[in-house]
Amino acid sequence: MRIELRNLRHVYPTGDEALKGISLEISGTSPVAIIGQNGSGKTTLVKHFNGILRPTSGQVLMDGEDIQSRSTAKWAKEVGYVFQNPDDQIFLETVRKEFEFGPAQIGMPEELVRERIGLIAGLCGLEGKLDVHPFDLTSTEKKFCTIGAVLMMGPKVVVFDEPTCGQDLEGNRRLCGIVKKLEEMGTLCVTISHDMKFVAGNFKRAIVMCKGEVLLDGSVEEVFAEVETIKRSFVSPPPITRVAQGAGLGGTVFTVEAFVRAFEERRA
Amino acid sequence: MAKAVVEAKGLSFRYRDTSGKRKALDDVSFEVGEGEFFCVIGANGSGKSTLCNALVGLIPHYFVGRMKGTVLVHGADTRESTVGALSMKIGLVFQNPFNQLSYTAGTVAEELAYGLGNRGVPREEMVWKVERVAKLMRIDHIIHKNPLELSGGQVQRVAFGSTFITEPSVLVLDECTTQLDPLGSEEIFDIVKDLNKRGVTVIMVDHDMERVARCADRVMVMDGGRVAAIDSPSRIFGDPDILARGVAAPDYVSICRALGDRGYYSGGLEIEEEPTIAAVKESLRK
Repeated sequence: MRIELRNLRHVYPTGDEALKGISLEISGTSPVAIIGQNGSGKTTLVKHFNGILRPTSGQVLMDGEDIQSRSTAKWAKEVGYVFQNPDDQIFLETVRKEFEFGPAQIGMPEELVRERIGLIAGLCGLEGKLDVHPFDLTSTEKKFCTIGAVLMMGPKVVVFDEPTCGQDLEGNRRLCGIVKKLEEMGTLCVTISHDMKFVAGNFKRAIVMCKGEVLLDGSVEEVFAEVETIKRSFVSPPPITRVAQGAGLGGTVFTVEAFVRAFEERRA
Repeated sequence: MAKAVVEAKGLSFRYRDTSGKRKALDDVSFEVGEGEFFCVIGANGSGKSTLCNALVGLIPHYFVGRMKGTVLVHGADTRESTVGALSMKIGLVFQNPFNQLSYTAGTVAEELAYGLGNRGVPREEMVWKVERVAKLMRIDHIIHKNPLELSGGQVQRVAFGSTFITEPSVLVLDECTTQLDPLGSEEIFDIVKDLNKRGVTVIMVDHDMERVARCADRVMVMDGGRVAAIDSPSRIFGDPDILARGVAAPDYVSICRALGDRGYYSGGLEIEEEPTIAAVKESLRK
């Protein structure tokens, strides 16, 4: 799926201009992270991908088709949106019913639904929980229930809004697995995140937003190397990157292995 | 340690009607000293939020289940008190701020004043306390808005303000910045650290290990409803077994360890940014 934004502006009824004319293109299957402060326009931006919000002016094209040509319900088949707060999304009595709801709305054959439930439950770590009430799940499992419900429809694009929020180590690992799996399956994953360790470890491209505009757009290495510019967006690189920068090591490192390599190069 | 203000002794709790057979809390005992910054870490489902509910008396007074053992706040047994009376001494900021709103207030100002109103605080006092706490939490510009029209981050600030407007001497924070961006979280933690310096005891549940390492006097690790360890942050994060408990050490520990393993570094494990940078620079010179 190719997402194209052409001079996209969004002004809320309160008069707040949340997006000030954004033009960019996201395509392919490599996962993309959107970062920036609260109120920088990240959520407003991604809510245009399935028409939850409509442009005040400018255009949003999904594979060349204008977002305005369909209702949000019609876009849901291709563009999945996982809310930040799972409680905003859950409304049925069992995980299974949550998983079956979306596919039923888009007329997915029952056989395929059954097949996908096994696959998606495995991916989300909910194999043994399909008949549990979502509100009896732990906060981690609840999040994966909402992710699973969206993935069930087999969308071409999945948008995650702050997926790591409230996640523990195990939840984080599972999420990393899902981001990888989506790329393998050819699904474009666009993720809003405040968690820079997560961004650095799982995404190739990062878009930094600030006050309704795109401040930086590039590979995570390029973006986190722009120490001064990135400060203006009130984002700071992951701790390991900051230590490497603080100690004057070369390059932009995100892992312990890369840190040691940069250390050895500097020492030699 | 300073005089204990919060004590749990043999605390166990099992929720009614849960699918799991396991206790949410299983024989938990610890003490928190006056003025201490005490952090609680562990995987999701390890009992951290249940513990928070027990410390402020929501267990056993609100949540239904079987509780054993005791919780003492300023020496008084929570069983023999009420949630209202306890909230004068110990305040909880919820994990999900939307669970904390009263849903009866039409404005942020009323929401902030809710706890004071319940205690019969005079109107003039309420007004200046609301103003003061709104300024502190940087929500003074939205004080006339409806709480339900706010962003998640703003609601989190309101939830915070409504908790410490009553000036409890102990604050229990249950992952209270999940809706805030890094800068917003730091602002809130600066306020918490400041309150702690002024003598407020803080008990904080958090997943950000860098922050825990920076703030905590002591850290308690929970695992499957039990206490796995209580110690200083440097000893907790220096223990290789900690990864087995579903928590990660701060990146700084991993850096020191990796450099140490390769013979470049022989100092102790650092748990904060500045000392780690200094250690790396020092190792470069050797």
